[in-house]
Amino acid sequence: MRSVSIITWIVLLFLTIVSAMFSSVQEKYIIPIIMTLAAFKFIGVAFQFMELKRAHFFWKSFIFIYLVIVITLILAIK
Amino acid sequence: MKTNINYKNIYYPPGGILLWIIIFLELITFGIALIAMVYYGKEEPNIFHNSRLMLNTTYGMVNTIFLLTSGFFMANAINELKVEAIQKSKKYLLITILFAFLFLGLKGIEYTGKINEGLVMGYNTFFTFYWSLTLFHVIHVLVGLVILISVYFGLNKPKTTIEDVEASAAFWHMCDLIWLLLFPVIYLIF
Repeated sequence: MRSVSIITWIVLLFLTIVSAMFSSVQEKYIIPIIMTLAAFKFIGVAFQFMELKRAHFFWKSFIFIYLVIVITLILAIK
Repeated sequence: MKTNINYKNIYYPPGGILLWIIIFLELITFGIALIAMVYYGKEEPNIFHNSRLMLNTTYGMVNTIFLLTSGFFMANAINELKVEAIQKSKKYLLITILFAFLFLGLKGIEYTGKINEGLVMGYNTFFTFYWSLTLFHVIHVLVGLVILISVYFGLNKPKTTIEDVEASAAFWHMCDLIWLLLFPVIYLIF
């Protein structure tokens, strides 16, 4: 097993537990934090597990732009 | 299994260009549905908040852990395959499949609880979104599981290529990506 994969996996699990814990806090500022953590996890899976880090710039930028649009719209509407 | 593909070429992302087109179409579909859910949540904030509290956040969190762990072992199965360690790769693939079953098992427990409580599709707007989005995702997981099982049994066959396995892995990781957006929106933010 590659150490980068193991570290990514542990960080992803940690961020998942942290975001679940944040959900019990009833403050407006918590939502952007939860969605930002989700974005980090999304990037972690796409770039490390799916090996998008080795792909052409087009695919990296496409997934990054998608994520920014979706998260921004969710936060803007919420 | 070695590959000579240059992934830096725009036409050859890991998993194949056709699968990446599917991945983007799926992500866009789920993204639009989630944005619609948030929009309706703004219209009916109390209903969405009270309904969200009826969900078990721990179930959502544990299911996220199951999918991430499954994806982690899938990535390792690909790495082992690239160094021709087929038996190790099969072992990791089996663990990937096991965590997929755990995800589906917990989802089944969650669904049974909701049905017994009468929180079915159409109960209110929140639960209509909850059932539509999570069931659509479960269908993807089931399809992914069938692909993984067929890859597991096909690994020893000489005609199976690394590109086939990478495409299957990309589909499986797509299920992760979709869930990583569904989990916070459905279980956490309302």
